[in-house]
Amino acid sequence: MVNERPHRLYAKGRVLGFTRSKRNTKEHTSLLQLEGVRTSEDTQFYLGKRVAYVYRAKRVIDGSRIRVIWGRITRPHGTSGAVRAKFRSNLPPRSFGAGVRVMLYPSRV
Amino acid sequence: MVFSRFVEVGRVVLITYGPDAGKLAVIVDIIDHSRVLVDGPTTGVERQAISFKRATLTDLKVKVPRTLGTPALAKALEKQDLAGQWKKTAWAKKIESRTLRAQSSDFDRFKLMIARRKVG
Amino acid sequence: MAHAPRNPALVPGVSRFSRSQSYAKAALFKKKKQAAKSKAAAPAATKTKTVGGAKNGKSRAVLAAKAPRFYAAEDAPVPKVTRKTIRPVALRSSITPGTVLIVLSGKFAGKRVVFLKQLASGLLLVTGPFKVNGVPLRRINQAYVIATSTKVDLSGVKVDEKFNDDYFKRAKEGKKQATEEELFEAGKKQPTAEHRVADQKQVDKAILAAVKKTPYLKAYLNSSFSLSKGQFPHLLRF
Repeated sequence: MVNERPHRLYAKGRVLGFTRSKRNTKEHTSLLQLEGVRTSEDTQFYLGKRVAYVYRAKRVIDGSRIRVIWGRITRPHGTSGAVRAKFRSNLPPRSFGAGVRVMLYPSRV
Repeated sequence: MVFSRFVEVGRVVLITYGPDAGKLAVIVDIIDHSRVLVDGPTTGVERQAISFKRATLTDLKVKVPRTLGTPALAKALEKQDLAGQWKKTAWAKKIESRTLRAQSSDFDRFKLMIARRKVG
Repeated sequence: MAHAPRNPALVPGVSRFSRSQSYAKAALFKKKKQAAKSKAAAPAATKTKTVGGAKNGKSRAVLAAKAPRFYAAEDAPVPKVTRKTIRPVALRSSITPGTVLIVLSGKFAGKRVVFLKQLASGLLLVTGPFKVNGVPLRRINQAYVIATSTKVDLSGVKVDEKFNDDYFKRAKEGKKQATEEELFEAGKKQPTAEHRVADQKQVDKAILAAVKKTPYLKAYLNSSFSLSKGQFPHLLRF
């Protein structure tokens, strides 16, 4: 596979934090803000889509320092376009504010 | 700065919020400093009081007397060709191109890219 | 107390583990498979018996199987009847033969390909065509494609029946003693089988002819899809 031009096949998102109540955090669900998504109607497209949190670590595993935590978008959160996502392993707090890749699959269009 | 768009009877407004968003209406009467009575029989807007939070003034104006009834207003708008006047404005053209772009398919976008390359 | 489900649903329709993961967890492959017994025709419930004695009517209907004289002390476990059936995978309404699809993942991610037909397994049979964008005849899951509104007119094209799931099965290699030569050869790319090449050409021929009828369609299939700045997939129409 040779691709001269860089090509992006995912939408960009940002980790806002975990779902929480006033004093407790629920680490099992993360909140994401997706680029260009402003209403809960807009989030419909993204529900069920796979999300990848890609990060770099120090130790080399299988010849790569880049690691991924996969997750899925489960439902909208509020009406301003935020969504909830569940990751295979809970996101580390250092991911807050970091970008995530929202894949276009599983596709429904 | 000189103002030329006034809140006045006959002023055409573009509704920007709610079920009538994107439709034109004409001011028939002024209620207070923030609300007016509008009617748009040619665009499917019911006669209603509307706040300027939900509408913006346009440069267009039609000649109608105050509190003109809906059927008579429809006739007046047809006669003064409001739709034609609106179509000529840059504003309307911009809205049209925006919707056209939003509706274009993947193949359309590709063809546009090719066309642009030829021009540029 | 019943334990929590091994595969809890994240949301209705989104479960924690994939099908293959839950299959691995359940370890069904370790269990012995029992062939489903074919149902024999039910034997007659009664049989006629000749009876002696003049006034007894000569014959009499008697139950074929005698009722047991006593009940079993313990209940024998009866396996539950599965009411689930394997249904064919529904094809998205936006995908019809000739639809241009955008591949979303894998080796050919971003490529625009032509849909030919759905196979029995539910996978989609697609082709590049190979000459246009290098995508061969291939199977792909519909979850990994975006269906565009662009269609190639395939009304005159007939896809051979031989292109089924078996066609794409990999030939199983028997275990052999590794020789020195083979170890060196292992990493090398095997040339594509000749019949595959011939099939590809034969299928693509008609499709290419149909593609050429629409201006720019060939170039479109040759180009690859990507999102650029300010493009949001939920607002795009494909």
